[in-house]
Amino acid sequence: MSGSKNVMTQNSAPSPPAATPRLDAVDRPAVFRPGRLRYWLVYPATISLLYVLGGLLWLLVANPLLSAWLHDAPPSPLSRQWPNVLAIIASGGLLHWLLKIHDKPAYRDLEARVRERTDELLASNRTLEQQIAARIQVEYALRDSEERFRQLAEHIREVFWVYGIGEERLLYVSPAYEEVWERPIQGLYDRPLDWIEAVHPDDRPRVQVARLAMLGRGYLDEEYRIVRPDGAIRWIWDRGFPIHDEAGYVYRIAGLTEDITARRLAEDRLRRQQVELARMSRLSLAVELASNLAHELNQPLAAIVAYTQACLTLLRQDHADPRELTGTLDEIVNQGLRAGGIIRHLRELVRKHPAAQAALDLNSLIEAVIHYAQLELRQAGVTLKLELAEALPPVLADDIQTQLAVLYLIRNAIEAMPETGDGPRELTLRTAPLDADRILATVRDTGSGFGAETVERLFEPFFSTKPGGMGLGLAVSRSIIESQGGQLWATANPDRGASFHFTLPIHNNPQCSAARS
Amino acid sequence: MNDTPAVFLIDDDQAVRDAVGLLLQTSGLAVETFASAAGFLESGAAQQPGCLVLDVRMPGMSGLDLQKKLREQGCRIPIIFMTGHGDVPMAIRAMKAGAFDFIEKPFQGQTLLARVHEALALDARERRRQGRREEVAARMALLSPREREVLERVAAGQYNKVIAAELGISLSTVEIHRKRVMEKLRAESLSDLIRMLALLNDEG
Repeated sequence: MSGSKNVMTQNSAPSPPAATPRLDAVDRPAVFRPGRLRYWLVYPATISLLYVLGGLLWLLVANPLLSAWLHDAPPSPLSRQWPNVLAIIASGGLLHWLLKIHDKPAYRDLEARVRERTDELLASNRTLEQQIAARIQVEYALRDSEERFRQLAEHIREVFWVYGIGEERLLYVSPAYEEVWERPIQGLYDRPLDWIEAVHPDDRPRVQVARLAMLGRGYLDEEYRIVRPDGAIRWIWDRGFPIHDEAGYVYRIAGLTEDITARRLAEDRLRRQQVELARMSRLSLAVELASNLAHELNQPLAAIVAYTQACLTLLRQDHADPRELTGTLDEIVNQGLRAGGIIRHLRELVRKHPAAQAALDLNSLIEAVIHYAQLELRQAGVTLKLELAEALPPVLADDIQTQLAVLYLIRNAIEAMPETGDGPRELTLRTAPLDADRILATVRDTGSGFGAETVERLFEPFFSTKPGGMGLGLAVSRSIIESQGGQLWATANPDRGASFHFTLPIHNNPQCSAARS
Repeated sequence: MNDTPAVFLIDDDQAVRDAVGLLLQTSGLAVETFASAAGFLESGAAQQPGCLVLDVRMPGMSGLDLQKKLREQGCRIPIIFMTGHGDVPMAIRAMKAGAFDFIEKPFQGQTLLARVHEALALDARERRRQGRREEVAARMALLSPREREVLERVAAGQYNKVIAAELGISLSTVEIHRKRVMEKLRAESLSDLIRMLALLNDEG
């Protein structure tokens, strides 16, 4: 077997065993060995020679001695003895013939038995050979699968483990444990709960509960942190699956433990980015509101300052008419109140803001945004086309946020159509019911459009094709629309430019529809 | 046409209009207020002497639109823009388009008054120049083609002898032409003549 082992290690495919011819050569003569003496005894020439020897012995020794003893006379000369010799040989031959006749069935029987036994032995030998070959095959297969398992278990980055319920300990842990935990495996065999000591204190109670549950059900699916000896924190995903015995009881648990730190970090990054985006959208909302507020407040403030200075001028001129001054001072009071009103209105907007989803008429919302953006539109020299559906059902959305999203889409469209470009510069705003639950709004421009590779990235934060663009407008708009249960996407127009579409859910308040009917 | 220079104040906000108007009036200025750019254009006040105090952000025709329209009509009345917070890009556009200045709301009355007085002075200067230019152009129209040729060469600094040779006329004829040019243009000296020509060229 040692030779074939070498073969195996050289060739991965198991070679047929070389034992068969050797068994033939050595063992077949051994079958005949017990009958060899009898074979030579029954051989006819040997028997005949024995007869001749017997005859000669009789003639030369026994006959003279016998006749001397019987007759006390000198033996008769040899020449007269030949008839006797002939008689002896003849009787020997006869005897042999008789013997042979008598012995023939026994001989044949022997031959038959030998053949039978030989066949039996050959058959059993063949069975044995087949069994050995099969055994070798099984052994190879086993060795192969063990090898494969070993390679898998010892080279994957995941920790593979087997826990014996009866043994109350880990039966196997793959070497990756040392890489992930940065603790020696031996420690795990010495103290089976060694790994739990590395679990982050915040996660440990949860992991212990999950481990106990696993011993009962056989299943484990837990994400937790471990602290390496150097203090580094790694995220671990630990899963266990029950192995049942024939009676259906869980007797082992096979598990796979992964280091998912990289994935967790990527998820964290994504989450942070979303939070950042939400913050930016709130921030840009605040900027938008603040800019609005500043402009609104500037009017009464400018009036107050001018009125006051007019009053001062009049007073210094010494011929001030008190009635005229009173009227102006009244105006100053009015303008102060006006400024207060603006701030109060803004505060109401901000206060009710977080949960401000209400039934809104999308058409009038769009018109309000256009009113706000009309200066930008006019300065850009863009032709505005409104295709707003009549009797549009109200949408459920946040007023300010939706206005902001529409404003960003309009600005995006304006910026996509620079004055330097050729061709018509048209901005189309369209609303229409999409289905029973949603309304579709479209902002269409005749600008430069976008390439196939850009469309994927349009809504990524900080992605911009415009010089000096922050790359936030579309990302913020999408975040706003999606947070209200809608969708925002872009398509390229067949002729030129791009269209941005968004949906918003229709407000299905029964009270509301009752009020409307 | 009223020749007293006036401040034309255009703002859609009635309170601002009133307050700023009152401020300017108490400082002894003639003020005319308009609620919209269109109203100002219709009144024909753009041709009168004075200056514009204009809100940049208005519904309908904006301050920038009005500025563009006035320039197209060849009206050179100085414009002071009133801008709000965050309207700096618009203010820059306005300045590039030839605005006299811009002030940010709310503003010190003194600042506005100072700028208005400067703008009115500029307008008066411009109008005087314009008047003089028209006068010179009218006198220039009296010149004969030959006198015009002589004038061009005199202005270019050529001597009478050279002019006579170039035009193929006698030196005394050149001197006569030159004297008549001075008379027709009512120029007292050569430097006076050059200034008149410069004034005309400035317009083009």
